[in-house]
Amino acid sequence: MAQVRQQNAVEPMQVDAPPEDNDNNEEDNYIVENPTLDLEVYANSYVGLAKLYRLIYIIDHCPSLKLEALKMAISYAMTTFNVNLYQVLHQKLAEITTAVNVPDVAASTCQDIPTIDNSWMESKSKRAALKLEKLDNDLKNYKSNSIKESIRRGHDDLGDHYLDCGDLSNALKCYSRARDYCTSGKHVVNMCLNVIKVSVYLQNWSHVLSYVSKAESTPDFSETQSKDSNQVILTKLKCAAGLAELATKKYKSAAKHFLQANLDHCDFPELLSPNNVAMYGGLCALATFDRHDLQKNVIFSSSFKLFLELEPQLRDIIFKFYESKYASCLKLLDEIKDNLLLDMYIAPHVNTLYTQIRNRALIQYFSPYLSADMHKMALAFNRTVPALEDELMQLILDGQIQARIDSHNKILFAKDVDQRSTTFEKSLLMGKEYQRRTRMLILRAAVLKNKIHVKSPQRDSSQTGEITVVPF
Amino acid sequence: MASALEQFVNTVRTSSSHGNFRELCEFISKSSEVLIKQSQHLDNVLETLDIQHHSLGILAVLCAKFNVQVASNATDNRFTQAQDFILNCNGEQIRFAPDTFAELCHSLTNYLVEQKQPLKGIVLLQKAISKLRLFDSQLTSIHADLCQLCLLAKCFKPAIELLNIDITGICQELAQNPNGPQFDSKYFLLYYYYGGMIYLAVRNLDRALYFFEVAITTPSLAVSHIMLEAFKKYILVSLLLHGKIRPIPKYASQVVTRFIKPLSQPYHDLAVAFNSNSTSLLNAVVNKHSEAYTRDHNMGLVKQVSSVLYKKNIQRLTKTFLTLSLSDVASRVGLSSPAEAESHILQMIEKQQIFATINQKDGMVVFRDEPEKYSGPEVLKGLEEQLALCMELDRQILAMDEEIQVNPQYVKKATGLQDEEQPKSTYAM
Repeated sequence: MAQVRQQNAVEPMQVDAPPEDNDNNEEDNYIVENPTLDLEVYANSYVGLAKLYRLIYIIDHCPSLKLEALKMAISYAMTTFNVNLYQVLHQKLAEITTAVNVPDVAASTCQDIPTIDNSWMESKSKRAALKLEKLDNDLKNYKSNSIKESIRRGHDDLGDHYLDCGDLSNALKCYSRARDYCTSGKHVVNMCLNVIKVSVYLQNWSHVLSYVSKAESTPDFSETQSKDSNQVILTKLKCAAGLAELATKKYKSAAKHFLQANLDHCDFPELLSPNNVAMYGGLCALATFDRHDLQKNVIFSSSFKLFLELEPQLRDIIFKFYESKYASCLKLLDEIKDNLLLDMYIAPHVNTLYTQIRNRALIQYFSPYLSADMHKMALAFNRTVPALEDELMQLILDGQIQARIDSHNKILFAKDVDQRSTTFEKSLLMGKEYQRRTRMLILRAAVLKNKIHVKSPQRDSSQTGEITVVPF
Repeated sequence: MASALEQFVNTVRTSSSHGNFRELCEFISKSSEVLIKQSQHLDNVLETLDIQHHSLGILAVLCAKFNVQVASNATDNRFTQAQDFILNCNGEQIRFAPDTFAELCHSLTNYLVEQKQPLKGIVLLQKAISKLRLFDSQLTSIHADLCQLCLLAKCFKPAIELLNIDITGICQELAQNPNGPQFDSKYFLLYYYYGGMIYLAVRNLDRALYFFEVAITTPSLAVSHIMLEAFKKYILVSLLLHGKIRPIPKYASQVVTRFIKPLSQPYHDLAVAFNSNSTSLLNAVVNKHSEAYTRDHNMGLVKQVSSVLYKKNIQRLTKTFLTLSLSDVASRVGLSSPAEAESHILQMIEKQQIFATINQKDGMVVFRDEPEKYSGPEVLKGLEEQLALCMELDRQILAMDEEIQVNPQYVKKATGLQDEEQPKSTYAM
């Protein structure tokens, strides 16, 4: 798996995620022009592979930040054993430095463009191999002494090392093997967390979810939930589950998971920053919660409020949405769109989420009215009237808005459903359907009683084909 | 030479006068070869037999006559003889040999089809059916013949009368079958296939769909061409009526999903295109498969399907709009000009498929709700009629249930399940 990932990373045109995300193919090749991202701060909120992957995502999708991100990624890769990734990054660097031919740019940046360090790679590879051998030997010793706790730790250490080298599938194997040597609930939870981490890197979301539920059902853990250390773990689990649900497009449950995270204990730089939690949770909630849920679980939620403080723009968006100031809400949403598109986990879902939020806003806007002027509505939603008409038409056809459009006067009228006649209609239809089915039933009884069935015609030869045909 | 025939005549006479019809049937089924061999003397035999008293004998002779190749120059009196027989024969007697009687009717039908005079046989077959069946809602294989003739003659009224009666029982023909009396599935399928086509011809789509559904849900172990064609028409009618393919009932045999579905791919493509609500896509599919549709003689239906899509799209508009300009209608539905949209809408208003008014001055269409308010005595009457129908059906079901409950075989099986572990028949009601 790790190999695949890296090969793909060489060619950004290919999908750089496992098959699960295949349907996002067409969205994968966009370019973000004007992000307002502070790369330094952004990168510092992550450690390990999460940082590298996120930087690579930015490298692939944002030309203006490409160079800076590359430098950052390379210098960070130097601190790990991940030689393969280092090479890949340098390849990317070579691509852009040859592409940028403008002399003054080259002159000014030439000195701080890192050059590929072959001796570093060699020594790193050697040291990695040595460490691997040592850990392997240690593990063998533990095994011969059959001390469970040491074996478990040995596996974990080996897994850590593989992870450091970027060998995800082996890391996953080692972490999973530790499972047989877990003696306490705490160890089980620990093992689960390790597996979840690697599975997230591998984007194996079903795996993530199953291990989250495994960890949550571990007896020791569920009993002592109130403790502080457990809060950290709980937040980690909720974040991972939310991420997995988000990736599999179950936005509502994703929102629910993220909302249960706790800022004070949100310490999971290997996967997510608290800002991410706020952003993912906030957007998913906005797209899927109704007004009441939004108020209760997001705006008045004491724990999530703290998250929202981290992303003031998002907080404004949610408040504007709740206050029915849709124009400014949608405008703010457009402003943060570029930054969201640089986030590897939410980027494939941005458009879907935005449409859902928009639709929700339209529905909510119209809900108190019997009739609404579409010119005013178009103004409130930054749309032209015909475009709004199309949007509304789709919503009406989907049954999300009970209304009809007066296209001549550009007014939207709520539809008054005549309960009495619809009931009549329905019951008459049901009666017809009953008659039809019963007739069919009686006929079928007669058919079965008379043993009518189509058989293949008798043939002289004993062999009969797969498809035989009754003479017509 | 003549002795064999003489013996035949004598046996027919003595058995008929003694009322030994069952034995006579057996004798007749054995003597068909003799009759065919002596074909040139059959007219003489007919003269010696009385149509009322010796119906079975005459039946056998006529059957033999239809089985013999006639020299082209010889005078052909078979039709008049058969006509005479069917109109005047003794119903009680022929019910002892329903298979032979049905065979005569099949031969007669084939003869009329060959002669291209289908209209001549319709009254005759109506009579034949009324003689053979025991009660009105019993199906005989002659039903299929009648439908075929009606279709060919484009004279649907007699067939409709018959088709409107829901079948509740099936005449057990093929008495000589080793597995006990049976009914040939071919004629069953043909009846429902032709019946569906007749209903299609008189634009009773609902009933047509029902008939095709019966045809495709017939138990089967092999692919029948009749079923295949019925399936194709089922898809088309389903699209015309419901705008989508109605799900095929679960009790349909596996053959349908395994073999018939793949064999009717062009029709599935059509359904997919239809569901996309895009006229251009639909036209592309129609053009692509037009050869297949024409080969199946379904091009007319396919054309209807594509014109229905416009109506469906306009109906969708009525759900979303109160007023819309004609040019908007045209652009949203995919019609080329507002004038075309106007004519479509006009037609639909006339047929009460939509409720709208067109304002020609500013080119606007105002869509209205259905004016039906479900009030007044007509509604009550309609409701009561529907209720009566439902209750009648319910009564029928109860009667069938009772019949099963007092069936000795069923009682034995239901009570003595533990003692005897015989393999059960799948068709045990």
